[in-house]
Amino acid sequence: MLMLYVPGDGLWHRMPAAPKLVLLLAAVLGISLLPATWATAAASAAALVLAYALGGLGLRELWRQILAIRWLLALVLLSQLVLLGPEDAVANTARAAAAIALSAIVSLTTPTGVLLAALEHALRPLALIRIDPERAALVLAVAMNAIPVLGKLARDVREAQRARGGPASLRLFAVPFLVAALKYADELGDALAARGV
Amino acid sequence: MSDTVLAGVGVQRGETAVLRDVTLAITGRTTAVIGENGSGKSTLIRILGGLTSASTGTVRVLGLDPARDIRGLRRRVAVVFSNPDAQIVMPTVEEDVAFSLRPDRLPPAERDRRVAQALTRFGLAGIARRPSHELSGGQKQLLALCGAFVREPELVIADEPTAYLDARNARQVADHLLAPGTHRLVMATHDLALAARCESAVLMHDGQVATVGRPAEVIARYEASLRC
Repeated sequence: MLMLYVPGDGLWHRMPAAPKLVLLLAAVLGISLLPATWATAAASAAALVLAYALGGLGLRELWRQILAIRWLLALVLLSQLVLLGPEDAVANTARAAAAIALSAIVSLTTPTGVLLAALEHALRPLALIRIDPERAALVLAVAMNAIPVLGKLARDVREAQRARGGPASLRLFAVPFLVAALKYADELGDALAARGV
Repeated sequence: MSDTVLAGVGVQRGETAVLRDVTLAITGRTTAVIGENGSGKSTLIRILGGLTSASTGTVRVLGLDPARDIRGLRRRVAVVFSNPDAQIVMPTVEEDVAFSLRPDRLPPAERDRRVAQALTRFGLAGIARRPSHELSGGQKQLLALCGAFVREPELVIADEPTAYLDARNARQVADHLLAPGTHRLVMATHDLALAARCESAVLMHDGQVATVGRPAEVIARYEASLRC
């Protein structure tokens, strides 16, 4: 599953959340500002490989992340090939892959509790416009944790349809999935209320 | 006199009366609520857990009025549901248990000590850093129990806590819920063997309390009604 915490003790895992966020944000910004050239594509790929290999996550995890966004990358590559040509297309696709996979390092290597505390700290200015930073950070954490549950619901709906021999159809998938997701949201709301949130 | 009572409680959902004139005092340390689907068990449990408001009547849970002191109720009452997936909020086992202590704003050392203690009690210490959603159904329900018990509640409310579990896991979860301790338990269940292990039982029928008493008698009456 994309971007969920993976236990470990590598460099990224040991680094405190705030400097890690700043460092990775700077890296993503730096890559985004480079011109769209073959050299940028190579630099983006190198930055990714180094970040995952030396940071303790490993190239297998990097491959897992790239696989998870392969359709998005294919869409970017194809559309840019048509509109801008091969050099721009490859460079921009490499930059997009680097930006997403580097951002994923934060959630892959930071326990949600720690990430929550860092987010709460970073979101403090929102209190000026009457948004509770603690609640905002909690919403983000709960949303991240809901990803695998919704993935399981989607698999369950697809399997139930296959078992009944139904045709593959977005409408036939969407309605039961939406019902199941809303039921999950309702139950999650109860569970949060019961736990004093 | 019991500190957990319902007097003349009704719950209306649109045109349907889900509970009708329910008057009940929870007296035993462990109480099972049994009855058919749609009999009002879950609504009764939700009222005791402060998750549903009564349309009519008065409710006192540990002497508190849930409508007036929901924060006080949350501090003293824990709720366990049947679907463990919906109760897990954080990505790893230990983080999910720690999440229950969030409202208490404990010092980190005290929080970690209580989390470690609860994980050991529920046999989850060895998988403390595992992703919660990769656990088996039984482990997930144990995690949900662990998250409830780490707050050291005076009253545990459970809505069909063994519904999704196989016999072995159901027994393990039941053993934890019924274990001697300082907490009291009110549990809705379809598992009559589990209900028989409680000190008292309540039979719900058509939104009303049909019988209250010793589990053996209440279960016998329920089974007799099924044969009609």
